[in-house]
Amino acid sequence: MSYKERSIWVSLAITVYIWFNYFSGIYHAAQQNELTISSMQSALLNVVIMTIALEILHHIVMAIIDHKNTNYDEDERDKQISLIGNTNAYYILSFTVITAVLHLLFPVMTQSLVSALNLPSDYVIINIIIFGALIAEITKFSTQVFYYRRGF
Amino acid sequence: MTKSISNQIRRLRFNRNEMTQQMLADAVGVSRQTIVAIEKDKYSPSLEVAFKIALYFDVPLESVFQYQ
Repeated sequence: MSYKERSIWVSLAITVYIWFNYFSGIYHAAQQNELTISSMQSALLNVVIMTIALEILHHIVMAIIDHKNTNYDEDERDKQISLIGNTNAYYILSFTVITAVLHLLFPVMTQSLVSALNLPSDYVIINIIIFGALIAEITKFSTQVFYYRRGF
Repeated sequence: MTKSISNQIRRLRFNRNEMTQQMLADAVGVSRQTIVAIEKDKYSPSLEVAFKIALYFDVPLESVFQYQ
């Protein structure tokens, strides 16, 4: 497994772990009617701090384990795989933006989501965009891992 | 019948005293995994890398890569 592929696997694991915690926390708070704007803000701040801390730790550990390839530059195959991952992520993000706009234009379509979260509409939009961005990020990493595994 | 790109890199490496994939990768400026993927016909390199490989083995391009 190449340095790049290993790095993508770890980033995928970090992303899934952090955002699973975030959304499960939001879901449980909503179930118990404890979801407030301040609790959501602190959950988002926690996500930012955790992401920075874990990514720094990830790169330090990778540099220690595989110090020979720490300064490895992407070659043409890495760039092409990365491009396919970004393209797939772009489709998901585009769909997310359309969904957020539809939510704004036709609130009736997402009424059940709004009542389940019990948050102001602005914050529902934020969560729709965050969720879409998460799916896009997972799609990007998964696509890259798929092409590294299957061959490209 | 669908044509595909095949290559003789494995044989050329063997003829060069079993040179390693890593040595070839360093010589042409790609990762070892890219050389592995090219050898297994899972990845078709750019013209630039293809020419670099041919130049490294000092053979014409068509002796390294075939489209058949």
